[in-house]
Amino acid sequence: MLPDRPVTPSTLSVKDLPWQIMWAKDKCTLCGRCTAVCPVNAIELGVFRQRTLSASIDPNQAPSNVYKVYHGIRQKTDPAYGCVGCAMCNLVCPNDAIIPMRSDEADKLRFHVNRGGQPRSRGGRRNVAGGLLDQIKFIRISMLTDPALDAGRHEFELRTLLGRVLPPEENIKFYKENGWIPPVREIYPLIIGSMSFGALSPNMWEGLQLGVAYLNEELGMPVRMCTGEGGCPPRLLRSRFLKYTILQIASGYFGWDEIIHALPEMVEDPCAVEIKYGQGAKPGDGGLLMWHKVNKLIAAIRGVPVGISLPSPPTHQTKYSIEEAVAKMIQSMYMAWGFRVPVYPKISGSSTAMAVLNNLTRNPYAAGLAIDGEDGGTGAAYNVSMNHMGHPIATNIRDAYLNLAMLGKQNEIPLFAGGGVGKNGNLAANAAALIMLGASGVQIGKYIMQAAAGCLGSEGDRCNICNIGRCPKGITSQDPRLYRRLDVDMVAERVVDAFLAFDMELKKIVAPLGRSTALPIGMSDALGISDYHAAERLNIKYVV
Amino acid sequence: MSSENYIALSGKENGTRIESRVLEEKIQAAVAQGHTHIKIEAYGQHGIGGRLWQAGENKVHVRIDGPAGQRVGSMGSANTRIEVIGTTSDDVGWLNAGAEIVVHGHAGNGVANAMAQGKIYIAGNIGARGMTMTKANPRFAPPELWVLGSVGDYFGEFMAGGVAIVCGHEGQNPKNVLGYRPLVGMVGGKVFFRGPHAGFSQADAKLLPIEDDDWEWLADGLRKFLVNIEQHELLFTLLTQREQWQCLQARTPQERIGRPKRAMASFHSEVWDRTLGNGGLVGDLTDLDRSTIPLITRGELRRFVPVWENYKYKAPCEASCPTGIPVQERWRLVREGRVDEAVDMALAYTPFPATVCGYLCPNLCMQSCTKQSAFMAPVDVTQLGQASAKAKTPKLPPLSGKRIAVIGGGPAGISVAWQLRLNGHEAVVYDTAARLGGKITGSIPESRIPKEVLEKEIDRINEVIPHVHLQQRLKKTDTDQLIADYDFVVVAAGAQKPRTLPVSGSERLTTALDFLRASKQGRAKVGKRVVIIGAGNVGCDVATEAARLGAEDILLLDVQKPASFGKEREEAERVGAQFRWPVFTQAIVDEGVQLDSGEVIPADSVFISIGDAPDLAFLPDDIAVERGFVKVDENYQTSNRKVFAIGDAVRPGLLTDAIGAGRQTARIIDDVAAGRRPTADPRTIIDVTRINLEYYDPRVVTYEDLDHCGSQCASCGQCRDCGICVAACPESAISRIETEDGKFEYAVNADRCIGCGFCAGACPCGIWNLIENTPQE
Repeated sequence: MLPDRPVTPSTLSVKDLPWQIMWAKDKCTLCGRCTAVCPVNAIELGVFRQRTLSASIDPNQAPSNVYKVYHGIRQKTDPAYGCVGCAMCNLVCPNDAIIPMRSDEADKLRFHVNRGGQPRSRGGRRNVAGGLLDQIKFIRISMLTDPALDAGRHEFELRTLLGRVLPPEENIKFYKENGWIPPVREIYPLIIGSMSFGALSPNMWEGLQLGVAYLNEELGMPVRMCTGEGGCPPRLLRSRFLKYTILQIASGYFGWDEIIHALPEMVEDPCAVEIKYGQGAKPGDGGLLMWHKVNKLIAAIRGVPVGISLPSPPTHQTKYSIEEAVAKMIQSMYMAWGFRVPVYPKISGSSTAMAVLNNLTRNPYAAGLAIDGEDGGTGAAYNVSMNHMGHPIATNIRDAYLNLAMLGKQNEIPLFAGGGVGKNGNLAANAAALIMLGASGVQIGKYIMQAAAGCLGSEGDRCNICNIGRCPKGITSQDPRLYRRLDVDMVAERVVDAFLAFDMELKKIVAPLGRSTALPIGMSDALGISDYHAAERLNIKYVV
Repeated sequence: MSSENYIALSGKENGTRIESRVLEEKIQAAVAQGHTHIKIEAYGQHGIGGRLWQAGENKVHVRIDGPAGQRVGSMGSANTRIEVIGTTSDDVGWLNAGAEIVVHGHAGNGVANAMAQGKIYIAGNIGARGMTMTKANPRFAPPELWVLGSVGDYFGEFMAGGVAIVCGHEGQNPKNVLGYRPLVGMVGGKVFFRGPHAGFSQADAKLLPIEDDDWEWLADGLRKFLVNIEQHELLFTLLTQREQWQCLQARTPQERIGRPKRAMASFHSEVWDRTLGNGGLVGDLTDLDRSTIPLITRGELRRFVPVWENYKYKAPCEASCPTGIPVQERWRLVREGRVDEAVDMALAYTPFPATVCGYLCPNLCMQSCTKQSAFMAPVDVTQLGQASAKAKTPKLPPLSGKRIAVIGGGPAGISVAWQLRLNGHEAVVYDTAARLGGKITGSIPESRIPKEVLEKEIDRINEVIPHVHLQQRLKKTDTDQLIADYDFVVVAAGAQKPRTLPVSGSERLTTALDFLRASKQGRAKVGKRVVIIGAGNVGCDVATEAARLGAEDILLLDVQKPASFGKEREEAERVGAQFRWPVFTQAIVDEGVQLDSGEVIPADSVFISIGDAPDLAFLPDDIAVERGFVKVDENYQTSNRKVFAIGDAVRPGLLTDAIGAGRQTARIIDDVAAGRRPTADPRTIIDVTRINLEYYDPRVVTYEDLDHCGSQCASCGQCRDCGICVAACPESAISRIETEDGKFEYAVNADRCIGCGFCAGACPCGIWNLIENTPQE
């Protein structure tokens, strides 16, 4: 700041910022790469004055004063340019002369990001590391009690069912009376959850789809990916790859007229239709794709003009009650594909989830229920929604499963769990825990961004700027100058790697349980936790 | 097989089966007694025939009749040969460490499991998991398993060494001699087999051609195998058809790193793009190149691009000067050694560059000088101002034919007339005074402005501007006539009517204006004790002049903190004037000034200097007046569109305000006369944070001369042509270009630039800006 200016309440020092740029003058070559790559312009070339005093008490040597100027990297302290800790500067630095370091205390920036009365919004997940799922252990290791399997040697086919599975006698009755039974898909239990074309860059989206297609067609793994709200590229709609896709319909209905127009030309049915009612990262809130992200491509896919903001309201406009809303949405979506495609709702984790579930149990068309817990990620949400709103997934899934078990329908309505699965890197362990708590499968979003595209975001509030279109890895940007950093094939390869590795880890967990084909859904006697209250609440073993 | 020398042991005693332990003890005892041929009638006992190492070098032959239990020959010794007459149970040769075991029939699951040495010959088929976990210890010959028929499922799992030979002769499943999923996890050894198979673990094993050495070994072995299992020679011919045999071998660790998987690029082009069409997922919707680019990009792919914004913004000095003099440009000329041009340039902006800039102006340019923002001394413009006394009268353009009457010959009137003339219009000044100059010549004390400087500038002005000396004040009708006669009229009559106080005895007051005029004409007198009501800058001038005329005790009163500042205030304080506030005058009495507190401040002379108001009696009625001042719009136009008004007649201000208003009005009139919409300078003030002051010595307190001033001017928004950007650019993308008009510019080679912004960061003058590149879509 200029020395003649008064400090304002929002005048911050580098120390007040969450990230401090450590710059080593002696190592820097002033190559300009760090300032060129910084996504938020947090650093710039600075001109520094250096003063040397030559002070001698010898009266014959007059003390003197010399100024010298040098150039170096300066961190800006304007809150609008606060470093986000992505460390792209470090990535491009040839000499390892620069790196952002996390402040050793709570930053002061958080008190000043609301300038203009606009509270902070960001991308990423709840800024809370750790989590209950990581504490759950698999304590049932069958060595001699059950046929112990070897994950490396035995054949596994870990699949789950998406769709309403009626009991055989009901199925027969249903068929006799209706001439129809609900469609059911056999799919891989790890699903790439809803991330829209628009939230993700074209290269990211295509990379994910390509990887999914490869897993299906080259490796025989029936992995499915949900489109998120924002439509589906016309070519995909008209290709056989559509069967690997779960189409999402949400409150904005973006792209759905394009999907309807594609219906007569479809060569395959989609895997399923997901009706989004809520999102774990920002429960009760809608979405907004800012006008500057709505370029030609996005506009074409969503079926809107270029350069307008696209709001998805928090609720569907024609939703009046659970009974009416869910039933009519499910009916409508079934009709689109002649009742051949399973349709299920997705809600955010909530203390009201049981009410939704109970409603679904009475609706034989409901193909499942996806619940997205509080740790889920998003491209853009208010910080307060992300950090403080939502319901943990573990208890929601557990309650839902036990509720189904009470009704004797635990194998009939599959539950899908999402929200922070693998957020600390323990994807298979978290997924297996959720499956044994009662989920038929899990959905991931942020994890695959991190694993397949090198997303830098973290619960230490690193990067998390998906909302401003400047994703340094090109994952959530619509700017070709950024998303071309992402190689479609390499993303696809990483998707394949991640799924294969997950598959192996899941096998390592379920093999000692003697499971090789049927997933241990709800097999909670295999779970233990050293937290007594959590054990009680989840109805799993308390082990210390 | 002769049984003559055999000792017979039975698995039964007294019709009852004995425990495996007891039979084992019997066998070991027999060996200990030196028996080398043992015949056993087995009844399902476990592990028969193994562990006979106490026989040492002596060969021990064990013949088993009857149903043997599991693990025949387990942990077998190299000295042992076991023959099982008929079919047997599981795990034959388990952990075999050298025994030769012959089964004259089929064998169950787990044959040869964990075998490390020895040979096992099976005359029939074997069950699941044969040859699993076998080893080859370099100290010994590798183990061998010979099977005449077929093997069961999961054959050779985790096989780590040894050789298995599966002859496929009358196997259990003629379509598959190797069973389901053989060789999973195989890391060593070989499997020779004959007959069809249904696949094996490609990740672990590979098919190899049978080399001559192998074949020789195999044929030799087959002969021995057939002898061992007492098979007919005829079978040898059947089994030794080389083309029927295949060999599987473990992949090396190096080979198994790359599992055979289709390359993603191949899947992308041959499956994905072939199905979806060229360009993949969105090839139909966009032509954009989506191929991969690096993090550091050039040209079109840069996220940010530098722009050389020379003269795009006003320097703070220029922006804050009401007259609008681009001070930074004058210093540039000085730096370039063109002092004369720097001096002359001022006349394009003001007719009083020396008088005002050099002496009378509070120099707002210096107050706003960017260097002040770092507590550095502002560049001293008064030096340049004072040097401007020598500025040469500009060459005047021919007259356009447009004529403008200017009412008032003060700084505002002179300024507008001057500018109009420089623009080629004829401007005639009407004034009641004999000399042009208004308050500058009429009432500002000589102590503030050297007479010769002022005279020189007035002379210069007189060369340019025709002046009509009115002997009397204008009347409304006169003004109407001027409006009719001229194309435009500019009212610049100033504020000539001193304000006074409505208190008793106010007739005793002398107004500041009267006093200063009289003083300038050399006819003013003051007493020893002087009180001045109103402690502004004019009050200060009165104080200074009063002191010059002999006053000794000077007091300035004000109702609030005095607004005086600058040179006027300094002069007044220098002559010993005192300031007192807040005080409120109640009356002027013989003794002096009486305050509302009742106090009487003794005074010989009392002056009032609380401002002057315009005398607008000459204005026609169609010209609107507001609170005693002429009402104008943002273009200085009055309610009569032909009539403009500027200076103190519009609102009280500094000399530079009046001069600036005159200059702007001249430009507006020039525009209006030419039928153009009046244009304003679109440039805004530069953001001073763009300027880098680190290049200057912060300890400079005073500037020695013009050159020193020029060198220390930060040249805000105006390129110094220093070339630091060229040096700072890490990619050598910036170059200096001489343009045709003899000027220069700095240009960026987009093909080299990476958009780092170093040019903007290093620029001393804030010329370079880094802006977002044009979006690509």
